[in-house]
Amino acid sequence: MSRKLGVLVLAMGILVGAMGLKTIVGANAKTPVMMANGCSPVPPPLPPDPKNPPK
Amino acid sequence: MPDRIALIIWVLGITADVCLIATSLVRGSFFKYFFLNFYVILAMSADLTRQYVLRTWGLNSVEYHYVYYYTDCLLTIALFVAVISLASRVFAELKLDKFVRVIAVLLLLGTAGFSYGVVAQSAQRLSTSFTNELSQNLYFVGLVLTYLLWGAVLKLHETRTRLVQMVLALGLYFSAYAGSYALVNLASKYEVVLYLGPLLGCFLPISWSLTMLRHSEDSRLTPARLVAVPR
Repeated sequence: MSRKLGVLVLAMGILVGAMGLKTIVGANAKTPVMMANGCSPVPPPLPPDPKNPPK
Repeated sequence: MPDRIALIIWVLGITADVCLIATSLVRGSFFKYFFLNFYVILAMSADLTRQYVLRTWGLNSVEYHYVYYYTDCLLTIALFVAVISLASRVFAELKLDKFVRVIAVLLLLGTAGFSYGVVAQSAQRLSTSFTNELSQNLYFVGLVLTYLLWGAVLKLHETRTRLVQMVLALGLYFSAYAGSYALVNLASKYEVVLYLGPLLGCFLPISWSLTMLRHSEDSRLTPARLVAVPR
């Protein structure tokens, strides 16, 4: 039981750490999406959808 | 972005991908490092598809945008699996590889659930927002896992050269991406920062190819010597 709990706590700890790091890195970010993989050029952000504008 | 420079970087990346797969096959390590090779094969397929869409519809098109970020999400999941496969190898001697896999599944489900929770409120382009959010979140989970893995490599005095160098390359890759992201936000007016992302995309296959070429599976080193602080 404690071993299962340990695995769960470790997974949650990693998840919380990762999300915390993301918050710190992206605190003052102007670009919303992080490019992560591949060697192709990164596309510019899409303009907002006129049929469904953000609230 | 000027076409010629982007094309040179793209050709460099594809060549590096082919180099890694060829080296793995020649050195008989393709199935030993299957998930790393699988990630590189997927990256190569994604880059070929992106190039086709880029040539057909252009950089500013909706089609290229969707193809780029959907394949990016797939690649981030594949990279996450590659990190987990390296962690399984590091912890296999302690018979903890089963737990590593359980943690990986929990992390994947947790990240997907968290990402869905974040984008569920947004009415527009739900699936696109979800893939973007999942890709970013999984990237940071991979970053934290890689640092934990490097800590484990040092603590367990891991000596397999290939494994150590592959984990180090992953750590450098993730850190460089985080740095380039910060740089893009700080100095977005300079066009040169736009090349950083695609250039870094070539780093992993190049470094893994060099590792495969220079070291055999039996090569050993002492990573504890890399720690500067004397005890």
